[in-house]
Amino acid sequence: MKRSLFAIVFDVMVVRLVRSGTRWWWRSCARWVGVSALAASMVPALAFPVVVTDDQGRQVNVMAAPQRIVTLLPSLAETVCELGHCPRLVGVDRFTQWPASIARLPRVGGGLDPDIEAIVALRPDLVLTSGSGRVAQRLQALGLTVIALEPRTLADTRRVLKEVSRVLTGSDRDGTLAWVRLETGVGNAAQSIPPRSRGGTVYFEVGSGPYAAGEASFIGELIARLGARSIVPAALGPFPKINPEFVVRADPGVILIAADQAAGLASRPGWAGLRAVREARVCAFSPAEGDVLVRAGPRLAEAARLLASCLASKAPTLPTVAPGAMPPAMPALRP
Amino acid sequence: MTQPRTARYQSALLATALLLASGALLAAGAAVGSTGASHWTALWADDTAGQIVREIRLPRSLAAWLAGALLGLSGAVAQGLFRNPLADPFMLGSASGAALGVAVVLVAGGGVLSAGFGPHGLGLTGAAFAGALAAVAMTLALAQGVHDSLRLLLAGVVVGVVLGALASLLSQLSPQTLPAMQAFMLGSTAMVGWSGCALMAVSLAVAVLTGWMLSPVLDGLSLGEATARSLGLPLAAMRLALLAVLALATGAAVAQTGLIAFVGLAAPHLVRSLSRPMAGPLLLLSALTGGVLLLAADIAARGVLAPQELPVGVLTAILGGGYLLWLMRRGAASGGLR
Amino acid sequence: MTALAGRPSAICARGLRVRLGGVEILHGVDLALPTGRWTAVVGPNGAGKSTLLRGLAGLVASSGAVELLGRPLADWRGRERGRRLAWLGQVEVPSGDLRTYDLVMLGRLPHLAWLASPGPVDHAVVEQALRATQAWDWRDRPVGQLSGGERQRVLLARALAVQADVLLMDEPLGNLDPPHQADWLALVRQQVAQGRTVVTVLHELTMALGADALVIVAGGSVRWHGACEDPATHRALEQVFEQRIRIHPLEGQWVALPR
Repeated sequence: MKRSLFAIVFDVMVVRLVRSGTRWWWRSCARWVGVSALAASMVPALAFPVVVTDDQGRQVNVMAAPQRIVTLLPSLAETVCELGHCPRLVGVDRFTQWPASIARLPRVGGGLDPDIEAIVALRPDLVLTSGSGRVAQRLQALGLTVIALEPRTLADTRRVLKEVSRVLTGSDRDGTLAWVRLETGVGNAAQSIPPRSRGGTVYFEVGSGPYAAGEASFIGELIARLGARSIVPAALGPFPKINPEFVVRADPGVILIAADQAAGLASRPGWAGLRAVREARVCAFSPAEGDVLVRAGPRLAEAARLLASCLASKAPTLPTVAPGAMPPAMPALRP
Repeated sequence: MTQPRTARYQSALLATALLLASGALLAAGAAVGSTGASHWTALWADDTAGQIVREIRLPRSLAAWLAGALLGLSGAVAQGLFRNPLADPFMLGSASGAALGVAVVLVAGGGVLSAGFGPHGLGLTGAAFAGALAAVAMTLALAQGVHDSLRLLLAGVVVGVVLGALASLLSQLSPQTLPAMQAFMLGSTAMVGWSGCALMAVSLAVAVLTGWMLSPVLDGLSLGEATARSLGLPLAAMRLALLAVLALATGAAVAQTGLIAFVGLAAPHLVRSLSRPMAGPLLLLSALTGGVLLLAADIAARGVLAPQELPVGVLTAILGGGYLLWLMRRGAASGGLR
Repeated sequence: MTALAGRPSAICARGLRVRLGGVEILHGVDLALPTGRWTAVVGPNGAGKSTLLRGLAGLVASSGAVELLGRPLADWRGRERGRRLAWLGQVEVPSGDLRTYDLVMLGRLPHLAWLASPGPVDHAVVEQALRATQAWDWRDRPVGQLSGGERQRVLLARALAVQADVLLMDEPLGNLDPPHQADWLALVRQQVAQGRTVVTVLHELTMALGADALVIVAGGSVRWHGACEDPATHRALEQVFEQRIRIHPLEGQWVALPR
C-alpha cells in the first residue's frame, strides 16, 4: 500500500509539475506529503486489534502491541527474542536459559506450576504459555491476555513464529523472515554434510526410559533434512518409549545421547555389540546443547548444525544397510 | 442422637475452637504469598497488590479450607462405613478414577478439550469429577451392592489399581501429557479461583447435611453389621446414600485441588484424640479439622520457602502425621494402646 | 421331640433353610420357641447353631417361614422389629471409640425418632441396664480401654437397653469370668421373670442346662427340643455328643462332665 501511495504521489507530482504551475505544485505536494505520512503512520495501527486462535481453540483479541510479556515456555521466549522484541519480556519460566540477556529477568516458576502471584504482580499485557494444564484458564480468569502455543513439529515452529510476530507487531512479516533464516540455516547444515556420510540411520535418545525421537518429531524431521533417518518409524509417535531391544535390532549408524548417559552405553544389555558403540559413533551432547536440540523453536538452525557436525564426523562412510533390507534412496536436497 | 451434657459441651467447644482457628488461618492465608506478606488493608486496595490478595490469595486459602473439609468429612464417612480406622476417602478408587479422567482429556483432546466445557474451563476439573464418580459406581457394581463392607473394600482396591494402571498406560502412550498429568495430580491450590470455591462450597453443604442426617447409621454400624440390622436400621439404602456422599465430596475436592493424601485419613483421628463424639458430631468436627489442617499446610507450603512453593501433600503429612506420632508415643508411654 | 404345650411361641420357624457360600447349613428346621421362657441352643461345633439364631432373627437370607410374636418376620418393619427383638452377636468388637454410656444408648435407637435426642426415659433405661451389668461405674470410659469381660458386659447392657420382648444371644459368655457368668445367669432369669423370651446359643453345657428348655442342633437340623429337667433331654444330649459327656445332678443343678 505504501508503495502504491508513493507511486501515485510521484506520478501525480511529476505529471502535475509538468502540466501546471509551481504554486499549485507546492500546495498539492504538501497535501500529498501530509496524506502519505498520515497513511504511513496508520498502517501499523490498522493492523491491531489482532485476533489469534491459539492451540486451545480459544479466540484471543490483542488490542494493541503488547509491551510487557511473560512467557512460560522456553521456545516461546526464544521466539520473542528471535523476532527482536526481547526488551518487551518482563518474566520468563525457570527453564529458559537463552539468550543471555534474559538472565536479569525474574523467574515465575515452571510452565505447568507457575507462580500465579508473581505473574500477576508483573502486570503483563500478554502471557504466552504452552497448551496443556489449567494455567491458561486460571490466568484468563484473573483478567490477563493469554495465548497458548506449543510448537511440536517444524510446521508448528513456522506457525508459531508467524503468530507471535502477528501478535507483537501486527503483521507476520518478521515471523516469515525468521522462518526463512531458519530454513536457510537448516539447508546450509544439510549441505555441510559430505555425501559419504548421508543415508544412514540415527538413534536419538531424548531421555532415560528410554524415550527416542521418532520420524514424526521435529528432531526426526531435521534428521531427515540432513539426509539420514531415525530408526523409530513415524507410526510409533513423536517421542515414544521404546524397548531397548528395538535399538539392538535396528543397529543404528549413529547414536545421539546426553553426555551423562553416554558413558553407560556399553553396559546396557546387548548394546556393547552395536556397531555405533563398537566404532565409537556416539555423539554426546552437553546440557546446553541438549536445550538447543530438544526445543522446537527458532534455534532449530543451530540444532541442525549440531546434528550435521555430529553426522559429518561420526556417521559411517558407507551407507548403512540393515541385513536383508534394500539400501535407502538418497533424499533430495530441499531448499 | 446426642450425648450427655459434658460430651456435647466438649464437642461444641472443639467446634468453636476450630472455627476460630479457621478464621485466623484465612486471614493469614490472605497475607502470605510468593510476592511478600501483605497488610490487611490491601484487601480493598485498587492496585496489583489488592488484586493479588482478593483474586489469588483469598480464593486459594478458602479453597484449601474447603478441600480439607471435604476430605476430612469423607475420611470420617469412610472410616465409619468400612469400620476401619485406616480407611481414607480414596479407598473406593476415586483418586484413580479422577486421574484417568484427566488422562483421557489430556490425551484425546490435547489443548482443546481442556479449555472447553464453559467459561470456567470445566474441562480438566469436570473430567476429574466425572472420573471419580465413575470409579465409585464401578466399585459398587463390582461389589454387587453395599451389603458386604469387606467386598466393597476389595472391589475399591481392585478398581483403584486397574483405573490407575489405565491412566498410567494412557499417559505413557502420549508422553507429552505426562508432565501435565503429574502437575494436576500432585495436589495444589494454585489453580483454584472463586468459581472453584463456589463449587466446593456447594458440595460441602450437601455432603455435610446428608452426612449429618445419615449419621445414626454410622453409629449403628460401629456395633457390627448384624447388630445394626437387628436395630432396624435400613442399612442398604443408607449405605448407598453415604457412598454417594463419599463420592461427591471426594470428587469435588480432587477435581479442584488434585490428590492430597493424608487429610482424610488423619482428620477423624485428630478429632478422636481430643474428644469422643458420636457419628454426627464426628463428621462435622472432622470436616472442620480437615479444613484447618489443609489450610495450615497450604500456608506453610507457600510461606516457608517463599517464593518457592512446596507440595502441600508433604506438609499435610508432616503436620498431621507429626501430631499423630506424638499422640502414639504419649499413649505408649502412659501404658495404653490407643 | 416333646412339645412344650400351652404356651404361645415367641418365635417359630417352619422349613427354615439357610445357604451360606453355596453350602446348605440348615436343612429345613421346624422350631417353636415358647414365650416367657429361656431356651438354650446347644450342639457340637459347626452344627449350625449361630446360623439358626441368625435365621430366627432375620439377619441372614433364608427360605421357609419364620414368625415373630405371631406375625411373619417379613411383615415386620425394621424399627418395629428392632423394638421387639434384641440381638447380641458373637464377639462383635465395636469399631470406633465411643464412651460406654453412648454405646449402651445406641440400644435405644429403635425407640428414638430419627436424629432425636434421648429423653429421660431413655436415660433411665440406660442407667438401669448399666447397673444390671455392673458397668455403671465406668460409664464414661471409652470402650477401647475396657478389658474383654468388661466390654462383653457393656454389649450385654446395650442389648438389655432395647427392652425387647425377645432376646437372642449368641455365645454371650465369651470373656466372662465365673462371678460374672453367675451374674449373667441371674440377669437372664430376671428377664424371664419379667415375661421376656430369651434364646441363647451356648457351648457351656452346664450353663445351658440351667435353662427352661433345650434345643439340640446337630448337622444342620434340630435333633431334640425339650425341657432341661427331662431325663430324656439328658439322654439325647449325651447321645449327640457321642456319649463323651455325662449329666450329673449336683446341689439341685444339672452338671455336664466329660466321661
